[in-house]
Amino acid sequence: MYAVQGNNSIIRMFHVSKWYGKMVALSDVTLNVCQNEFIFVTGPSGAGKSTMIKLLYMGETVSSGSILVDGMNLARISKKQIPMLRRKFGVIFQDFKLIPTKTVFQNVSLVLEVAGFKPKEIYPLVMDVLERVGIEDRSEEFPPVLSGGEKQRVAIARAMVGTPKIVLADEPTGSLDPDSAAHIFQLLRSVHERGATVIIATHDQQMINNHHGRVVRLVKGRMA
Amino acid sequence: MLIFAARRALTDIVNNKFLHIVSIVTIALSVFIVSAFSLFFNNATDFLDAWRKGVRIIAYMSNNVAEPQRTELMETIRNSSGVAAIEFISKDDAYNDLKEKIGQQSSLLDGLDKNPLPDSLEITLADSCRKLEDIEELSQNIGGLPYVADVEYAQKWLHRFNGIYNLFKVTGLVLVSIFFIATLLIIANTIRLTMYSRREEIEIIRIIGADEEFIKYPLFFEAVAQGFLGGVAGILMLYLAFVLTVPNFAPETVFSFFEIRFISVKFSLAIVLCSMMIGWVGCFFSIRKFLKL
Repeated sequence: MYAVQGNNSIIRMFHVSKWYGKMVALSDVTLNVCQNEFIFVTGPSGAGKSTMIKLLYMGETVSSGSILVDGMNLARISKKQIPMLRRKFGVIFQDFKLIPTKTVFQNVSLVLEVAGFKPKEIYPLVMDVLERVGIEDRSEEFPPVLSGGEKQRVAIARAMVGTPKIVLADEPTGSLDPDSAAHIFQLLRSVHERGATVIIATHDQQMINNHHGRVVRLVKGRMA
Repeated sequence: MLIFAARRALTDIVNNKFLHIVSIVTIALSVFIVSAFSLFFNNATDFLDAWRKGVRIIAYMSNNVAEPQRTELMETIRNSSGVAAIEFISKDDAYNDLKEKIGQQSSLLDGLDKNPLPDSLEITLADSCRKLEDIEELSQNIGGLPYVADVEYAQKWLHRFNGIYNLFKVTGLVLVSIFFIATLLIIANTIRLTMYSRREEIEIIRIIGADEEFIKYPLFFEAVAQGFLGGVAGILMLYLAFVLTVPNFAPETVFSFFEIRFISVKFSLAIVLCSMMIGWVGCFFSIRKFLKL
């Protein structure tokens, strides 16, 4: 089975199901993710990959079953604790989800502002992470003038800057050309090497075949 | 936390210049319209009030009233409630005054063998005696006093004027209220649209772990700032229009008793405060929707 047993689990999903009206998005999924694991969640479109990602950071709530993230039971946390849960994650989306009216620097620094960092602490941290993703020279640009690959590097910088325990990437290379996709993937690898648990939802079979990592396959909402 | 929120709000205002300018201009125009109406009705009411203050009671005296009796009569009237001042106009003064007023036609009076005008008392009313009923009561009382032959206070004119004045006040109140409510809705809706256009941004900030306070405070700050700037701009626009137009239309040259004035500082502050409060309320109702899980 795909579930990995061990006492260093950072995510545990127990018989998790999610449905929207009569449509079942996820059905009876049980999964154990260890700290610093690198996981691909794969499957065809509509398999439930994005739903699984959303359930982890509580972008959606489960219909049945339960999820534990770094010791937090998502079924029992209060609304006020949700921000604390989300700060454990860095989330990367296919459509980048950058704020178009904020500069690259401001988009990335927002994570640290949210976490309560002081302005003088924020600047070096943000510049360091922008340098790591190779976009420090565009820190004062606004997202609409950036290419897709650059936007995704900003999104990765935003996901990395708070040194989260878990990085979730939902089709991170879905809208990029092969070269940009390879670069983004290398960045995600470097995040993993720095100690983060990385979960990538993708249907890019070539990317999965070319890289080492556990593969979780979903078909029609069920683990195959 | 608040300073941080204010700093973020200011950054957002700078980054979203166009959106904020559109909102502020919309609010400013709304404030301008409602303030202009208030300005007009305030001045119109003042004008009518000033006109009514000009109403005096004239008590015509019987013929040949001796001075002691006249003094006693004047004292009685002066002590009546609602009387501010009293002045004796002798028949000779009245004759000369009439002659002066009719000017070139004064030769008409030369044919008269004696002065037909009576002695009279001109009674100025106190501020407490401005209602039609009070004026009527006072004039009836004066008319009942000895040595008073007749009393006149422009009854017909005052009756008509009173109707117009009341109608004007009610109409003004209704119109200003309608404009005020319309302004409330426009400002609240403008703020709501501003918030709505930023729902995706709010969603992103939530995903990266922002708590409600982190999201709400800058938005409230922005909404209140929009209300403030829109309110101030609206009042300034009105003041500019006032300064530019009033010197061309100077009613004091026609009506010496009246001077057009701008809305008071208190009223201006109330409008700006109101505008800020509406910004807050508009923001409150808008973000409540976005902050649901």
